[in-house]
Amino acid sequence: MNALTSQSDFLAETAAVRIAMAAPRSRFSLRLRENLAPFEAALGLSLGGPLGSRASAGERETLRLGPDEWMLHTSLADAGAVEAALSALYATQPHSLVNVSAREVSFVIDGPRAAELLTLGCPRDIAKIAPGSGRRTVFDGVTVILWRDAPDAFRIDCWNSFAPHILDLLKTGARELAAEAP
Amino acid sequence: MSHYRVPGKGRVDLSRPVSFTFEGRAYTGGRGDTVASALLAHGVHLMGRSFKYHRPRGAVAAGSEEPNALIGTRRGPGRFEPNTRATVQEIYEGLQTNAQNKYPSLKFDIGAVNDAAYMLFSAGFYYKTFMWPRSFWDKVYEPFIRAAAGLGVSPTEEDPDLYASRNLHVDVLVVGAGPSGIAAAKAACAEGLSVVLVDENAEIGGTLLSEPQAVIDGAPAWDWIATELAALKAAGVKVMTRTTAIAYYHQNMIGLCEKLTDHLAQLPDDTPRERLWRVRAGQVVLAQGALEKPLVFHGNDRPGVMLAGAAQTYLNRYGVLVGKRPVVITSHDSAWFAAFDLADAGAKVQAIVDLREGVPETLLAQARARGIPVKLSHTATATKGRLRVKSLRVNPVSGGSVEAGEEISCDAVLMSGGWTPSLHLFSHTKGKLAWDEDRTTFLPDETPEDCVIAGASRGLWGIEAALNDGAEKGRAAAAALGKAGAANVYGVAQDRTGTGISMKELPTDLSAGKAKAFVDFQNDVTAKDLRLAVREGMRSIEHVKRYTTNGMATDQGKMSNINGLNIASDALGRKQPQVGLTTFRPPYTPTTFGAFAGYHRGHHFEVTRKTQIDAWAQEHGAAFEPVAQWRRAWYFPQSGESMDDAVRRECAATRASVGIFDASTLGKIEVVGPDAVEFMNRMYTNPWTKLGVGRCRYGLLCGDDGFIRDDGVIGRMGQDKFHVTTTTGGAARVLNMMEDYLQTEWPDLNVWLTSTTEEWSTIALNGPMAAKLLQPLTDVTLTEEAFPHMSCVECTVAGMPARLFRVSFTGEIGFEVNVPAPMGRKLWETLWEAGQPYGITPYGTETMHVLRAEKGYIIVGQDTDGTVTPYDAGMGWAVGKSKPDFVGKRGLARPDLVAEGRKQLVGLLTEDGSKLEEGAQIVFDAAQPVPMTMVGHVTSSYDVGTTGHPIALALVAGGHGRMGQTVYIPMPDRTIAAKITSTVFADPENSRLKIPADQGVAA
Amino acid sequence: MLLIHCPYCNETLPELEFAYAGEAHIARPQNPSEVSDEDWAEFLFMRANVKGLHYERWRHLHGCGRFFNAVRDTVSDKFVTTYPAGAPRPALDSLLETSAEGGK
Repeated sequence: MNALTSQSDFLAETAAVRIAMAAPRSRFSLRLRENLAPFEAALGLSLGGPLGSRASAGERETLRLGPDEWMLHTSLADAGAVEAALSALYATQPHSLVNVSAREVSFVIDGPRAAELLTLGCPRDIAKIAPGSGRRTVFDGVTVILWRDAPDAFRIDCWNSFAPHILDLLKTGARELAAEAP
Repeated sequence: MSHYRVPGKGRVDLSRPVSFTFEGRAYTGGRGDTVASALLAHGVHLMGRSFKYHRPRGAVAAGSEEPNALIGTRRGPGRFEPNTRATVQEIYEGLQTNAQNKYPSLKFDIGAVNDAAYMLFSAGFYYKTFMWPRSFWDKVYEPFIRAAAGLGVSPTEEDPDLYASRNLHVDVLVVGAGPSGIAAAKAACAEGLSVVLVDENAEIGGTLLSEPQAVIDGAPAWDWIATELAALKAAGVKVMTRTTAIAYYHQNMIGLCEKLTDHLAQLPDDTPRERLWRVRAGQVVLAQGALEKPLVFHGNDRPGVMLAGAAQTYLNRYGVLVGKRPVVITSHDSAWFAAFDLADAGAKVQAIVDLREGVPETLLAQARARGIPVKLSHTATATKGRLRVKSLRVNPVSGGSVEAGEEISCDAVLMSGGWTPSLHLFSHTKGKLAWDEDRTTFLPDETPEDCVIAGASRGLWGIEAALNDGAEKGRAAAAALGKAGAANVYGVAQDRTGTGISMKELPTDLSAGKAKAFVDFQNDVTAKDLRLAVREGMRSIEHVKRYTTNGMATDQGKMSNINGLNIASDALGRKQPQVGLTTFRPPYTPTTFGAFAGYHRGHHFEVTRKTQIDAWAQEHGAAFEPVAQWRRAWYFPQSGESMDDAVRRECAATRASVGIFDASTLGKIEVVGPDAVEFMNRMYTNPWTKLGVGRCRYGLLCGDDGFIRDDGVIGRMGQDKFHVTTTTGGAARVLNMMEDYLQTEWPDLNVWLTSTTEEWSTIALNGPMAAKLLQPLTDVTLTEEAFPHMSCVECTVAGMPARLFRVSFTGEIGFEVNVPAPMGRKLWETLWEAGQPYGITPYGTETMHVLRAEKGYIIVGQDTDGTVTPYDAGMGWAVGKSKPDFVGKRGLARPDLVAEGRKQLVGLLTEDGSKLEEGAQIVFDAAQPVPMTMVGHVTSSYDVGTTGHPIALALVAGGHGRMGQTVYIPMPDRTIAAKITSTVFADPENSRLKIPADQGVAA
Repeated sequence: MLLIHCPYCNETLPELEFAYAGEAHIARPQNPSEVSDEDWAEFLFMRANVKGLHYERWRHLHGCGRFFNAVRDTVSDKFVTTYPAGAPRPALDSLLETSAEGGK
């Protein structure tokens, strides 16, 4: 996941986990009704599957957050193409595509105890989020989107103003976990 | 010199001496000692004073149930903890401890006068004594109670330690790592099930640590523990020691408090002192064992009197003889084994006194073999000794009568009234209890949770029974999760099983009225108190408990509840199950606030949301105020300025030239879809159909009850797209309300809502120079004609993509520039630079409040309180009366909402020119008798604005029809008269909103 | 701390992800203007205060965001069932059986 980070220096790096800020990406909140096929065709990826399912194609990746809601990430350069592709559908396939790129940031967490680090703030069972899927959930009282990229690699998306609070606990936890006897 | 340490006994590592202090004196113990065991090794029994009578007390138990030996522990500034049980606090090099409830010293305590005044302090003392006379309450009684109340002393310094918390999901949680818990964990860890085994002690083993003589499947008990621990770890079982299961919550959620550093001399970096685990378990096995009951007789609380099982633990686990000449008083076989162990370790056991007529011959034979005198059918009636027991008075009981007593000289009394299963966590589950007549105790019955209870905690005595029951229950827990666990069958040699009888207070030949026979040691409740409570009319055990405080101390009645029940039921003449047991409450043992707070302290106490411009404000000396979760710049004081000075300057500068304000915290919702306008028509009171693209409108949101919920300016960015703003505090609530209607009432609408609060940084420019300042930075022509008030457009500002709104919350020419959030600070600084020629002034929320009040603009939640309609607020113009429906339309027609005399928002001007207090009550007639009829209250009040006199907004009954009338605001020192006016104090013609033609500069 | 089954996510999750949203099956009248004052007051204010099985609404606030309905036993606090918003009210009889089976 290092490719996702904006710099090589980590916000926290211990024997337990590494935490970095992800590089800026384009982010869209996509809302639409049942008929997924035209949107899948326009975006070039699948939107189906149970809530928490992910799909990706090239720069684009989606996470199904609700029955009618997806988070779509892509490169900054691709944003215009996404908007154009869906805008062409609007007349026949009403939907909402809202650019939320500036709304949130992502932390990239990896390391042998990354999953355990999340248990400091997540009441749900992290083990039930399969690698390659994701969920919207709560971390230390804050709504977040959790992407599990690998068994010990995660991303946490949160709104800008909550990021310092979340990072604070992640850093505390990174030190705490590293201080534990193995 | 530890005269009472027995060479070769116990698990304490004396080769690693540990020094600590108690009451300022240095003592030495070994690694593995508790404060209590180390003090007892030095012959120190006196460890504290009791709560009410300040009686000298020593350790009566050896575990977490200890009610007496409460100490304060200290290690440097801020690291002081009161009420720690000396029986569980492990010693470490440098530990400082002190006794509690003593003045001036532990050995001579002035408060012990309460002991002599015992008759005054009996049950219900507080209720009776402090009733009369009424006038004594403030000056005499309350100060006295406050001075006397409380255990220990609160710490005064900030706690420098870290506290942590974690969530854990497991298949099987086993609480208690005695024989049954170990066997259960072993049986459950099958087929990949995750198993956690927790114990409050520093090491696992439970009762096996005190019974090294047992041989399990051929292995001595302590060897067996070591083997099993290694095997459990190898099997992947998470074994957590120094970890107390403090509470059992719904659906198998168990709170664990893990103590990580209280036993360490050196505090490791980054390691919390305690960690609260929130465990969600598929199945729970409760294997908490049983607690020994004291016997209730006069003087049973004297230092040196302790539970027989505790004496056995001190000897076998810690290698400490609690006395060299102990005497045993018991109603249960188990104390005989304690006597034998102490005798074998060199103590001269003075006698074994048993309340029963007959005991098993094997016990008698073993006593004889050791030369221990035995007295059956005897009761204990008193002890002697000031700070340490010197003798026990025992009397033969014959045919129900207590005969002449004799005194047995001793240096310790070991008592046993039998055993009570530890039912605390089971009780937390709302588990039902069943009375067991044979054992005279309650046993666990049904529970609504996925929970099984094993071993001594369900009344099984003996190690073999505990092991085999634990194994079976562990297997059953695995089976309940669909896995085949394997239950071992254990064989135990040298097992000590036994029986006994359960007593109320012991029979005596002395005056029962003068007996200090303690039931609850920590709260100083005696048998006499319980009987008095019943005599005075308490019938329910719950009332007896509260009247006497029996079982209400920090030990939660671990040792006192069953004895208390036996005595109360005897006094009531009813069987125990008819009287019932009081409920055990969490936590199982006292738990620090730190453990509950976890990470949420200091700067991490709660989320503090900051805007992208917050840092600039901080750099420029802003004072901040919290608004919902946000911290917002409140005002920007210059050197030497008071808040009033600063706000007055900011107000004046904004009206004179231009002010800049960070409005980023306003809630924002993007409403998109073909039905967007229909949705807006249904949600807001205003009509939206005719609002053109590029125009915005002030929107008012009501509940279906017709009361104002929120407000904000809403721009139509496209035919199917609205940019909705909400109040800062209302953002989440409004979105939730909209989602609710959309998902559940109007699911047919093709419209979607997205929070964009944090997508945008929003900067407001207000003042006569606002357009002039902004014009050079944008392509939009900022003239009255090209971009009139209440316009909006997507454009660029200072090269940044922007949504530009022409709106005003001050009455001046106003703009709100929205740019992608991270660009906010850059835009702010650009505007700041561009504004220098105009003397641009940053202002905060206070100036915003003042300027809007001068224009009569409301703040929802300040000028409204959930009972104010748009009409009450004077904003009937915002209600789209011709719309067929909107949220609140039907509500506004409710009889109460169209009635005369509703409180309506008006302006107030005081006749004497003074400033009113926000929240002050209003009356029509100041001469009326008290209590006066209140007709409204002041909602907003300022005297630092630009109007030259104080202004106020108020809700007044029928206010709109009372323009020009005088109302009164009674204050503690005087009554203020004020005239009702319009809510608009400045520029009622709105002339200042217009951009003068000569200012229009084509882009 | 209860566990709640979200009918949209099809997962049973900690209560902390959810927000309570009042009694269920109180539909807003189609044409509020035609509703009498009494009926409107009934709709706005009158709520059951059940000891036992209670129909109520929850929102998976920190999750899929959907409002849904639930039947919960106010004595034990536990959920008997949850179902999507708009779905018909489950029959109490069948629920009582389920509740008894699940209650151990």
